[in-house]
Amino acid sequence: METVIKQSGKTQVFKDKANKVMGISLEDAKLTKSYLSVAFLAILLGGLLGLLQGLNRAGMLELPAWLNYYQVLTAHGLLLVVVLSAFFTIGYFYAGLSHTLGGLLPKVRKMAWIGFWMKIFGFVLAVIPILMNEASVMYTFYPPMAASPIFYIGLVFIVLGVWMCAFGAFINVASWRKRNPGKHIPILSFFATAVFVLLFFGSIPVAIEVFTIIPWAFGWVETINVMVARTLFWAFGHTLVNIWYLTAVSAWYVIVPKIIGGRRWNDLLTRIVVIALVIMNITGGFHHQIIDPGISEPVKYMHVFMSLAIGFPSLMTAYAMFAVFERTARKKGGRGLVGWYKKLPWGDVRFLAPFIAMAAFIPAGAGGIVQSTNQLNQVVHNTMWVVGHFHLTLGMSVVMTFFGISYWLIPYVSKRVLTPQINKLGIIQTIIWTIGMIIMSGAMHWVGLLGSPRRTSYSTYFDNATALSWDPYLFFLAIGGTLLMIGVLMQVYAVFNLMFFAPKGNTEFPVAEVEEDEAPTPRWTERWGLWIVCMIVLVGMAYVIPLVDFIVNAPPGSPPYKTW
Amino acid sequence: MMKSSVSGFLLLLALMLPPVANLLESIMITHMHMQMPLLVISGLFMANFFQNRFPDFFSNWNENGVPGILLFSIIMMYWSLPRTMDEALTLTSVEAFKFISLPFLAGVPLGDSWPKLSSFWKHALIIFFTILFLALGWLYIWSPVQLCNNYLVIEQITLGWGFISTAFAMVVYLIYSYFMDFSKYE
Repeated sequence: METVIKQSGKTQVFKDKANKVMGISLEDAKLTKSYLSVAFLAILLGGLLGLLQGLNRAGMLELPAWLNYYQVLTAHGLLLVVVLSAFFTIGYFYAGLSHTLGGLLPKVRKMAWIGFWMKIFGFVLAVIPILMNEASVMYTFYPPMAASPIFYIGLVFIVLGVWMCAFGAFINVASWRKRNPGKHIPILSFFATAVFVLLFFGSIPVAIEVFTIIPWAFGWVETINVMVARTLFWAFGHTLVNIWYLTAVSAWYVIVPKIIGGRRWNDLLTRIVVIALVIMNITGGFHHQIIDPGISEPVKYMHVFMSLAIGFPSLMTAYAMFAVFERTARKKGGRGLVGWYKKLPWGDVRFLAPFIAMAAFIPAGAGGIVQSTNQLNQVVHNTMWVVGHFHLTLGMSVVMTFFGISYWLIPYVSKRVLTPQINKLGIIQTIIWTIGMIIMSGAMHWVGLLGSPRRTSYSTYFDNATALSWDPYLFFLAIGGTLLMIGVLMQVYAVFNLMFFAPKGNTEFPVAEVEEDEAPTPRWTERWGLWIVCMIVLVGMAYVIPLVDFIVNAPPGSPPYKTW
Repeated sequence: MMKSSVSGFLLLLALMLPPVANLLESIMITHMHMQMPLLVISGLFMANFFQNRFPDFFSNWNENGVPGILLFSIIMMYWSLPRTMDEALTLTSVEAFKFISLPFLAGVPLGDSWPKLSSFWKHALIIFFTILFLALGWLYIWSPVQLCNNYLVIEQITLGWGFISTAFAMVVYLIYSYFMDFSKYE
């Protein structure tokens, strides 16, 4: 697969080897540690706010006037959907780039730090109006609800910070490619490139949206085109969802096989999955708008097709993962049709957490297909079902993978080791989280089918019988939420223990090798520019028809509304 | 190799099915930017069959790929005109010509010519189509009148933006291939 490294890269070879033997350089480690610390502080705070919401929705807790449900909801969304995910993804992939590309370039490290502070600054700017109850617009923030302009300016800085990190990653990868002619980008960096390509291209639409909202929020223009804003938002929103998913998938393909003592799935197929996800992702945004008015039926039909197409690489992933498990377990002496599962390391949290995360993606993905289907979506669209769905996908498939990663990544960057005690804590945490999320997400799905709406605080609707019938399910929601909060506390404890208090030692960055007899990966997989062009063409196919319609046949625009 | 020819032929048959053809032709942009390229793609897949069947013809008449690409360009330009699209919907003979010309006079020559072309000609072709698409985009978006009897002005504008966005993608590709020196990485 790889040709011999040319002599000109001697120093680099030395650096690569030093990196592998001595572990991550202190400066790169500090960067990742900072990103991960912010991510886990965000989950602590965001989890607490989530608990408050859950208790309120169950009618068990009256929130004070100075911190109402919608403020909590907005902050919960922003903390977990934007801060946790972005900081974790960047921290993890920068450690991956550092490990697989022989250290970060000083320039790139600087860019990542600038990005870090830009995001923090942007986040502080966004939080101030939320705390002042001037931005209770939820994390989706689309018009006609209007927040204080400061909120949107904060978002601009967050996006700019993300772009900084994306370009840093591109520079590092490009420089490595120049130094290593004829070689394939190491698989983890290949995933990182895909994620940063998606982060950059996916956030262009939301940047355009925010730039049209700011003058409107200031009152410089009177009205805004709501449908265009929503469409631009979801082009980003859906991509963001898939960015975390792709981050989790990278660990499933690259890390988990190593942890179970096996080899990873076919390199070419892995890269095809990544390329397919990059090309097809952005257009998936439309299935979030499946019941929006103003989009004609044929266009919606086309988008259902485009959304379901994303399911294909996911099915490939499901197959690949279980194939790797079976192959590895059989090599270790596993027998029987399914009896081989006993040979997997169930007592290792670094495997258990991502495994449950993967298993959760089976119902989560099925729920996603339900929501992409026009008629079914009409039944569940504005109900708690959808909230249950994204807690299953993000709260389980993605976040549990992130937790699983933290048990080796944090010891790796802090040059400590995972102790049996923390591993045990992690196992218990994983079980609590699993039970909590099944109860909470299950209750949300069910009560959604019974009609309980999302995005509202607790109400009995004047003691309407139907609304009262939701109460038992909402209790389950609160119970699940409480278990999850316990899980959050354990996880955050584990993270900071591993970062500052665990015994010193060397932890390996577990990157699995390919099978020995594997055919070489073809060179065309490296043509990133071509994949980006394909992506642009597909985005054009998806968005030209509806956007032209929204703009040319635009209704009178909407003035800003403050509904809270 | 035969497999790709068969799939190309099956694609052509599928596109010829009346419900499929009606659906794709009912929207202007899917008519021009989906049905027509798919017809070309079906020809592209079938090129192998003709190359194996008539090797002398292709080596005599399309030695360096330029005649083939010229034929391809002429056919593509012809089908970019508003009037031809209108006629395809009105006159059965023109509709039949569309289903013959795009696969066999555009797709097959493209399949035969592309590997024979030098990088100069390949880029020249992309530049030519970028300019053509920008011009057509301009025509369809800013035309003061309805250009097709069969399609509304809004559809015409949509198609115009379809041309512009495709041209944009080609510009990105051209910039990418201009700045990237692949030999550095191999």
